[in-house]
Amino acid sequence: MTVIRPDESAAIELRGLTKRFGDAIALDGVDLVVRPGIVFGFLGRNGAGKTTALRILSGLARPTAGTAHVLGHDVERATDAIRARIGFLPDVPGFYPWMTAREYLEFAGRLFGLDKATLDARATALLEMAGLASVTTRVGGFSRGMKQRLGIAQALINAPSLLMLDEPTSALDPIGRREVLEMVASLRGRTTVFFSTHILADVERVCDAVAILERGRVVASAGVAELTARATANRLIVEVEDSVAAAAVAGALAGRAWLKSIETDGRALHLAVSDLPSAQREIPAAIAAAGMALRRFEIGETSLEDVFVELVGGPAQ
Amino acid sequence: MTGFGAFLGKELTEIRRTWRLWVIPGMLVFFGITSPIIAALTPALVQSMATSQPGLVIRIPPPTARDAYVQFIKSLDQLVLIAIIITGASVVSGERSSGTAILALTKPLSRAAFVVTKILSQTMLLVAATALGTAVCLAVTAVVFDGGDGARLVTAVAVWLVYAVLLVVVMTLFSAAFHSRGAAAGAGLGFYFFTLLLSAWGPAARNSFVGLVLATQKALVIESQSLGWPIATGVVAIGLGAVAAVGIFERQEL
Repeated sequence: MTVIRPDESAAIELRGLTKRFGDAIALDGVDLVVRPGIVFGFLGRNGAGKTTALRILSGLARPTAGTAHVLGHDVERATDAIRARIGFLPDVPGFYPWMTAREYLEFAGRLFGLDKATLDARATALLEMAGLASVTTRVGGFSRGMKQRLGIAQALINAPSLLMLDEPTSALDPIGRREVLEMVASLRGRTTVFFSTHILADVERVCDAVAILERGRVVASAGVAELTARATANRLIVEVEDSVAAAAVAGALAGRAWLKSIETDGRALHLAVSDLPSAQREIPAAIAAAGMALRRFEIGETSLEDVFVELVGGPAQ
Repeated sequence: MTGFGAFLGKELTEIRRTWRLWVIPGMLVFFGITSPIIAALTPALVQSMATSQPGLVIRIPPPTARDAYVQFIKSLDQLVLIAIIITGASVVSGERSSGTAILALTKPLSRAAFVVTKILSQTMLLVAATALGTAVCLAVTAVVFDGGDGARLVTAVAVWLVYAVLLVVVMTLFSAAFHSRGAAAGAGLGFYFFTLLLSAWGPAARNSFVGLVLATQKALVIESQSLGWPIATGVVAIGLGAVAAVGIFERQEL
């Protein structure tokens, strides 16, 4: 029998992680390694299994099969050791409505056994960071955005080695979202940040690496740049004389083996192609054969969205 | 039990700053004040009803301090126990449904500490409120009836308290076991009425904690009664109930 030892240098290591709810499979043999010190995006559509994975990693749920190690510890055995070193924010954080933001941070800090001086200093700094320093009302009167910011602050009270955030920006307005993403990016190198999201732009903005989860399976996991380079489809933008010519070119190219999709937008054509050299040869030839002039031929940048659509067959957000 | 002290501090502050401070303590103080007054006024009220019905003669002995104590104990036995069931139904399930348990339990707070703290804080509140309510009842009775055998009331309340703490533990167990507060409250009421029914059966009343239900009122009128088994089994049931509540909550996924 081969014994696979956990990679103790990994912040998170999942091996064949499976979670079933009756007949439904939420996680189906997930393998994943997250290196320490990076910002890691856990990307997937709603219902892909992201929250289930985070619940297992934080000790709130147990795997049906497979293993999960956090900071070198098995999540099923070393719950105390893990909880002391992680920060966790669920998708909808619940606070005691009768507490103020500072009182909640002090309560959280006491659970970690922080001494009073450290707790005072951290609570003050985190309230400042969360934009709640001057707020004296009780949490029961907070907006969802304020609760989300307090949620991030409480997750950082113990200066965690690993910060796990479940959809941290989904409830925030654009300014709040930018602030949270800047805060996440600022932790790079000091704390491993593992955050789930369905917002592709957030991943592109702050993540070093990403895993794409679809129907409980990791369909891709790599650095963001490496993943976009892996895309099999290239984007092309072609412009001809007018919209009539564009429609004629679209008709002429339909059915080519290398053509994955084509959309017209006025005189422009947006194409996704699987074989760039063939497309580079055949598109100008088709335009010339139809007696039309080629005005623009541009190879577009492949985005994470292209990769996501290619892998899971539909846009996230 | 990791996090016990910090979480107990939170629980006690929560009691002080929310409705929890007023419900059971408020009821106990209210019954402490009104029980002697109701006992004193009852004969006069009954007589006034009798005079309105020609030919009806009702003889009622003069009220005593014991009547006040019986009235107080009846209120504890019925209304306060039901209040314990209703408030206890949400003690764990409420934290689970509001998401507060998730945030606390992903920190160094063990599930055992979470459950034991809930039981301990409720018990502390109950004991303090019962002591206050009983003291108020004794004081008002002393004023209204010019004295009384307070030691009997204290004994009866102590017996009641064993059953009330058992009910606190049972409700914590049900609240941990059921996701719905309604289901926990329903199970609690079922437990209460079942033990009430069972207490009418002599062997069960003599040899198990169900005997505590009737023993409370008996303590006011009977010189001495054997309560060794009911109290001993009650204490054991409290311990087993707490262990079961911890076990159930530890196995649950949040």
